Amino acid sequence: MTAARILLADDHALVRRGVRLILDQEPDLTVVAEAGDGAEAVERVRDTDVDLVILDIAMPRMTGLQAAREIGRRSSRGEPPRMLMLSMHDNEQYFFESLKLGACGYVLKSVADEDLVGACRAALRGEAFVYPGAMGALVRDYLDRMRRGERVPETVLTEREDEVLKLIAEGSSSKEIARALTISIKTVERHRANILAKLGMRDRTQLTRYAIRAGLIEP
Amino acid sequence: MRLYWKVVLINGAVLAVATLLLVLGPFSVSRHPVVSEAVVLGVGLLVMLVTNSLLLRSSFKPIEKVVAEYDAMFERLEDERAASSARALAAQEAERHRIARELHDDVGQQLTVVLLGLKQLEQRVPPELADELAALRESTRDGLDDVRRVVRRLRPGVLEDLGLPNALASLANDFAEHSSASVRRVVTPGLPPLSPEAELVVYRVAQEALTNAARHAHADGVELSLTRVGDRVALVVADDGRGFDTRTDGDGLRGMRERARLAHGELAVTSSPAGTTVRLEVPSS
Repeated sequence: MTAARILLADDHALVRRGVRLILDQEPDLTVVAEAGDGAEAVERVRDTDVDLVILDIAMPRMTGLQAAREIGRRSSRGEPPRMLMLSMHDNEQYFFESLKLGACGYVLKSVADEDLVGACRAALRGEAFVYPGAMGALVRDYLDRMRRGERVPETVLTEREDEVLKLIAEGSSSKEIARALTISIKTVERHRANILAKLGMRDRTQLTRYAIRAGLIEP
Repeated sequence: MRLYWKVVLINGAVLAVATLLLVLGPFSVSRHPVVSEAVVLGVGLLVMLVTNSLLLRSSFKPIEKVVAEYDAMFERLEDERAASSARALAAQEAERHRIARELHDDVGQQLTVVLLGLKQLEQRVPPELADELAALRESTRDGLDDVRRVVRRLRPGVLEDLGLPNALASLANDFAEHSSASVRRVVTPGLPPLSPEAELVVYRVAQEALTNAARHAHADGVELSLTRVGDRVALVVADDGRGFDTRTDGDGLRGMRERARLAHGELAVTSSPAGTTVRLEVPSS
């Protein structure tokens, strides 16, 4: 198996180095190029063959979001690479905007040490990496629709998944849910992934379609 | 001459003339006045009143001028006060912006470097140090979360990066997460453009109105809308809570008014026991 080729864009050289060291430890991931701002990232995508682009949102010259828009446009060489956004901002609107621009997910810098590798693999599989902060908004919308009697994806959640779903809707973090239900964080995260899959929000396109229909993003 | 003496003198003079006329003129009043006498007396009284009021009016003129000047001064002072608090608000926002940027760009990035570095070290240190290293990593994460929270409170980054509709959506989400009330959000597409200052004002007013609804109103539902009114943009935040007395200008309400003025907008707050509506209209740029 050849390792996935990654382009890493962040204006902070030391952050870049940190991310690179973490990714390069994984046998299936390799950073093949770096960029210090959005414009440079767009150029690298043109001249380097990459499978995945990791973009920091706050960058000079061209922000990560602007760069994602450029990269997401289908190039003459076929499918654009998969994209993953990296950011300090804990705000679900960034996640939805990232989705809209064609990115597979959004990783918060404060959990990059835990989530980044998993997010990269999900993105490479074409799945969405739903950042925990956005789960609340998605799930609340789902519950609202169910209450109003609208047609929602048919789902059979287990009792535990139902509990987790409600706690997510109330804005609890994985850590808080783990404590409330006396289960491990890893288990909470597995439930989270299962719930998403059951609600039909596993892959990027499904999730984007859902978010647009729910009015969480403009089409 | 003092105004008091002027009034006494004028009244005295008019009365003196009237008395003189009564004494010297061909007038007489019987013990039981006849109609013609009453008419003469009436006309005399009218002439007296008119003369008196005309004379008094001219002497009161300077006072009216002073009152008008006083009013104008008062208005000017009020304008200046509002302008200076608007300036203070703008300066405060600018300062917040600067601090947020430094926290985000410097402290945040450095902590990210430490976090990633610690993670990377974990696989290379002897196993007995792993727990300690993991604890350090959690502390770093908490630090990073704190920085992020402070930055978010200081500066609505989403407003600058993603625009007003997204920023309002994010406020609505925050509200839904921390309150039992449901929030409905209506944003008409194709709104006229606002200056960054006006957008910030709209955002802060919406934030304040939602905070009030959550904190004091005990509302079940809130509607947040952003629509176009001619070439202006109208923000309406309406809740079905228990309302409050809008005459007692709380800090929140005063803050909203001052911000509205900053954007040359108009703020109207109506409240009854059936709910509160905050309406802000700002001109487009």
